[in-house]
Amino acid sequence: MDRDTGILGLLGPILRNLILFLYALFALFPLIWMVILSFKPDEQMFTTTFIFTPTLDNFRAVLGEAGFVRSLWNNLVISGLAVALSLIVGVPAAYALGRYQFKGREDIAFTFLSFRFAPEILVIIPLYLIYQKLGLIDSVFGLIWVYQLISLPLLIWILRGFFEDISPDIEGAAQLDGYSWWQVFFKVLLPMVKPGIVAAALLCFIFCWNAFTFALQLGGASTQTSTVSMTRFLASDTVHYGWVAAAALLAALPEVILALLIQKHLVRGLSFGAVKG
Amino acid sequence: MASVELQGLTKFYHKRRGVENLSLDIHDKEFMAVFGPAGAGKTTTLNLIAGIVTPNSGTVKLGGRDIGGLEPADRNVAMVFESYALYPQFNVYDNMAFPLRSPKFKMPEDKIKERVTHHAKVMRIDHLLQRPIQALSNGQRQRTALGRALVRNPDVFLLDEPLSHLDAKLRHSMRAELKEMRTQLGTTTIYVTHDYLEAMSLGDRVAVLNQGHLLQLASPDDVYFRPASIDVAKFFGDPEVNIFDATLKTSGGSQISVQMLGENIPLALPPDVVQILNEKHTSKIQVGVRPPDVRIAPEGDKQAFHATIYSFEPLGTKSILTLKAVDGSFVRALVDGHLTFEIDRRTQFCIDPHLLIIFDGQSQKFLARSADSIENS
Repeated sequence: MDRDTGILGLLGPILRNLILFLYALFALFPLIWMVILSFKPDEQMFTTTFIFTPTLDNFRAVLGEAGFVRSLWNNLVISGLAVALSLIVGVPAAYALGRYQFKGREDIAFTFLSFRFAPEILVIIPLYLIYQKLGLIDSVFGLIWVYQLISLPLLIWILRGFFEDISPDIEGAAQLDGYSWWQVFFKVLLPMVKPGIVAAALLCFIFCWNAFTFALQLGGASTQTSTVSMTRFLASDTVHYGWVAAAALLAALPEVILALLIQKHLVRGLSFGAVKG
Repeated sequence: MASVELQGLTKFYHKRRGVENLSLDIHDKEFMAVFGPAGAGKTTTLNLIAGIVTPNSGTVKLGGRDIGGLEPADRNVAMVFESYALYPQFNVYDNMAFPLRSPKFKMPEDKIKERVTHHAKVMRIDHLLQRPIQALSNGQRQRTALGRALVRNPDVFLLDEPLSHLDAKLRHSMRAELKEMRTQLGTTTIYVTHDYLEAMSLGDRVAVLNQGHLLQLASPDDVYFRPASIDVAKFFGDPEVNIFDATLKTSGGSQISVQMLGENIPLALPPDVVQILNEKHTSKIQVGVRPPDVRIAPEGDKQAFHATIYSFEPLGTKSILTLKAVDGSFVRALVDGHLTFEIDRRTQFCIDPHLLIIFDGQSQKFLARSADSIENS
């Protein structure tokens, strides 16, 4: 009681919040700087004071370019379909790795995880050659396929923990209740791992959306994604930092909105299965 | 109409034994208690009957029909799992209605409602129907799980330690309730438990399992009074049965007496026991004495064994007394609660030879017990 009423007791929460605020400022500064840049006119771009005349010119310029808007759409389609494919393949895989005891189970699970170890730049040349032979360069399917390297391991490893947490008794009970195995899977198991699926799918989407190396090397004019498209504002003679910032802001917006919408699921999903699994 | 017949069932999980060569015959409408310590293969037995695991060899017959190839859904067997296995995304009502909405047992919603509310009343959870599973106590979850098994009139009930997660008081009242339910239902039931009291109070017959093998299949009385082996005797009864090495002495023609605990006190065996011993030509035996059958004797009793008091645990109406006999072996006795004993004091006790359980010294299998001892107790 004494501590709460004293000067120190009053200062404590203030100090705590001040430190948190300062850290948040530090962590978010690049983002804040990006937002500021996107509203700055070109001539004030390099001033280090925070005083400037806000303008929407940058956004007008970026959105006026048909290529960029199209690339946003491309990214949405490719990333969305990539996540969808990962879900179709990954959910059963995660179930199998979580539930069944079979030879080489851990090896297979680890192999999936190891896809995330290698930097993309390391495999891009062989992949390029393979894609060239298969004629998959600059195709939507080609990018969806290669994006599995990004999204599938993540999805499998998050969901595996969720499936491991479900008691096998529940499956037995549902089977005895008169359901076939497939019905048990869809009616009982999937609803139970829904928070995990939502969280994993969202993370996968963010990683796919942000993918640059694969999209740059294996994509082309017709499948250009927003990450690649942004580089067009970095011409060799002039760099429109304001345009780049505006484009980056526009590209980040869908992720931010999505994450905010399902924040509840995200926290629950990630702290539930993934940590334990 | 559903008897359950297990013939030579064997199930190994990789190298680990679940059950081995298990044969069990459960009559129609019988309440069979399957008793055993952890790892005895009790749950495996239930899972084999339910079809959740498939045996390595052996057959399962339900009502005389081999159901080995059938999916769990097609066996019309209901099971209550030790973990209850309720669906966390549903509330109590939907959990109980789940089997009735399945393609297998489908019925119209108004009928489902009728059934679920009826059985919820029986289980006394009708006021909880809209509650999510997370908001239930263990006892309520257990009732929900039972209710879910009850709603669809299965041929066989499989209950896997349904009371083990309840606190002692609730367990006691649920045991009484189950006993009442059992007479009302009249469905073949297989009840797995590691609590010998549950097994004895509920079962028409008790199957004693250990390490995947069937040790004994008999009525509760027989399991307690005529245990098939020393292991079985030790499983039933608390405090545990006393087992002593003993020697047989023949004296005067047909008289056989037992000597044990390092004293020269011949306990004359009753004639029916003597007859069995003579038939089997056994010389080396072990005897079992239940702690309630060890009586503190008054001083000067010529037939009494000498001992010092090693420990004394009062438990209210009864007390557990551990005595150290002359040869150093410990003897557990269950005595009246109003008696008090001082540790390290000398005392003496006597054992009625009619109450001895005689085991073969080599095989540790049951040999004999006097018939009139059981009628008296």
